[in-house]
This record gives sequence, C-alpha cells and structure tokens, in this order.
Amino acid sequence: MLSYEYVKTGNLQEVFKLLESREHVYPLAGGTDLIVGMRGGKFAPELILDLKDIEELKELREDKKGITIGALVTLNEICLFKPVLDNIPILSEGCHSVGSYMIRNRATIAGNICNASPAADTSAPLYCLDAVVNIIGSDGTRSVRVDEFFTGPGKNALKKGELVQSITVLKPYPEGRGIYFKASRTGSVDLATVGVAVQSWGERVKVAIGAVAPTPVRALSVENAVNEYGEKDWSKAAALVNNDISPITDLRASREYRYHIVEVLVRRGLEKTMGV
Amino acid sequence: MSEKITISFTVNGENETREAAVGQTLLSFIRDDLHLTGTKSGCEIGECGACTVLLNGKPVNSCLVLAIELNGKELLTIEGLSKNGELDKLQQEFIDHAAFQCGYCTPGMIMSAKALLERKPDPNDEDINEALSGNLCRCGAYQEIRAAIKDAAKK
Repeated sequence: MLSYEYVKTGNLQEVFKLLESREHVYPLAGGTDLIVGMRGGKFAPELILDLKDIEELKELREDKKGITIGALVTLNEICLFKPVLDNIPILSEGCHSVGSYMIRNRATIAGNICNASPAADTSAPLYCLDAVVNIIGSDGTRSVRVDEFFTGPGKNALKKGELVQSITVLKPYPEGRGIYFKASRTGSVDLATVGVAVQSWGERVKVAIGAVAPTPVRALSVENAVNEYGEKDWSKAAALVNNDISPITDLRASREYRYHIVEVLVRRGLEKTMGV
Repeated sequence: MSEKITISFTVNGENETREAAVGQTLLSFIRDDLHLTGTKSGCEIGECGACTVLLNGKPVNSCLVLAIELNGKELLTIEGLSKNGELDKLQQEFIDHAAFQCGYCTPGMIMSAKALLERKPDPNDEDINEALSGNLCRCGAYQEIRAAIKDAAKK
C-alpha cells in the first residue's frame, strides 16, 4: 500500500504553507494522473493535499472578460458548459478527447496542464485560444499565457508553493470554426499519438499541435503562410508544419509516422475551418 | 502500514462509518474492507472500467479514487442494484441478451449504463458509446450490451 500523509483543508493560506512544508507535496484535484503516477512509481508524495474543499478553485463562469474555469472543475462539466459550447467549442472537443466518460467525471483541465504532458488533449485547443493560466500563491496571484506555462515534458511554470487557480479564455472569442483532431491507437482512453487543433479567426488561422515536441507547439510556419502570405493551397500550407515540430519515436508511433499524420491532420483542419 | 482515517458514507443505501487507510484506493476499500467483490479489479490505471462504481450518482473508476475521498459521499456498487431479490432491469436485460461471455466487465458496464439511464432515459447509440467509452469488453459483446441497454430503457 502507498504511504504518505493526507490533508484536506478549505483554507488557502494553510494550503500555501503546506505546499512549502516538504519537498514532495502533491495537490489532489481529480487524481486521475496522480494515482496512476503513484502506483507506477513516477510520483512519490510525502504529503497529498486534497483541494476539493477550496471554494476559490471551483468557479466556472462567463463574464465580460471571458470564460474562467476553476482548477476543480471537471472535464465533463466543461464539455457541457454552454458558454464553452457556444463560443469556444474547440475546447469542449479537447476536453472530450481526454480518457473516457468516467475519467472526465474526475479529471480537471488544470490537472491536465499541470501534468504538462506534451500530449495533453486540452493543450492544443488552449494554445489556439491564447488561454491564460491564473496562478495563486502566498505572494499573491499572477497570470501567464498557456504557452509559457508548459516548460518541458512534465514540467510547468509553477514555483514551489503555487497552485493553478483557474484558466481564462479571454474575449474576443474566435469568429470562425475550430476543430481538434486526436490521432490515437484506440477510440478512447489512449493518449494522443498526436493532437492537432485548428481555429479560424475570420480570414486568419491558428494551429497548435500536441505530442510532437517537448511541449505543445504553435505551427507558426503554417500560420504565417496563411495569415501573412495568403496561401490558399492547404496542402502547401500544411507541408510547412515540418518546420514547427520535432517528434520522437515512442511506443505510440514512430517519428516518421508523426511527421506524416500531423501534415495530413493540419491539411484537413485547414479544409474544415477555412473552407475547401 | 499507512495511517487510517475514519470516514462516514452511504453504501448501497446504508449509512456506514469505517476506517480507511490513507494509501488505499476506493477499489481496494470496496473489495477488501466492505467485501463487495462484484466490483472488479482490472487494469488499476483507469483504462478498463471493470471497477466502475457510482459516486454521488456519477460513474467513476474506483481504482483512481482514494478510499478516504469517500467521506461524506454516496456509493452505489453492483450489489446495490437488485431490490428484495429482484434484479434491476439492466441486470435482467444483460442476462436476456447474453450480453457477456466471461462476465468480468459486466458489473462495470452495468454501473456505467445505470448512470446513463439516470441522465438520459432514452439513449441512442452515440449516447451509449459515449457512456461506455471507458468500459472495455475483451470478449467483444458490445452489440449485445448496446441492445440490452436499449431494451432496459424501454421498460
């Protein structure tokens, strides 16, 4: 049986103190990565800090700034939140691609990005939406862009003693269609072999890709070709994605296959969002 | 041995107060402490769905929940479905359709289906596929499982 201390508190100040009290303190939100990681020996917590009583992490709202999703909101709750479905459905698709229905009843978007897998399904949509990660700690709050939050495989921009409070997608929302493609070995539960998000904003497009580099990446070569040089041949634009990615071979796919499938999915994404 | 915490909860309609080890999963607590062995242990990493139970009415992988998180919550396992010796309509339809071969995935399948019928009394194929996306049947009885759920929905 696993051995660690467990504390559940509704007091944020106490949480900050406890986060700094030992070397290996793990916050618990959904637990779907944490418990698997503990069992597999990837995480060895001295203390598990259950956050589920902390009201400050539970908000899910739309206001004049945009849509804010608290760290304890589950992926299934996001999938069904009307402002998300109406304005940024690409995020709902990304959330819906994670795990299975049961996993999504527990798992959170904050956990998905804190775990910082380059294959995180919510990441590519969040990159396309220029989402902001709101961080809270004993020194106060700060916000970073989601592409600054991912710093490497399994690494994020949180400092010791900090937590993700929420994620905000700011207005204006994209005017246009967004789509998230997940290539994986099975229809559900498996991690993404690659994940491709394409979001049109009027005549412009944003493209982000997961599982092809140490962090999720924006396909800036593709975006430039379309947005700055008016490329309308989506095959030609999609071929440029090779400049933006550096995939590796692992148990899910070879490097070569990832290069191939990403180009195909970017082209399809451009066709679907920008018109054939 | 890890520390124990006293938790109070409802299991299959009965109030209970027990001690749970801090390092224990809900799956282990259900099987080893509550002795409700209808909930199956499969992959223990949230991929197979054999350990599905309803926590406050929502299906979850009990292998991915800590036992101590049960405190203050309502747990429904496969043992809680039949009433006075009478099977739940889902259990009966699974039998009538022979919606299994080895049966190992069946309790998890039925718990996912139970939650589905609660939120969508008349599900279509897509609803069923979505609800059972985390329940694997290695015997491949999916067609019969879908038919059983649809017929249960009609009753």
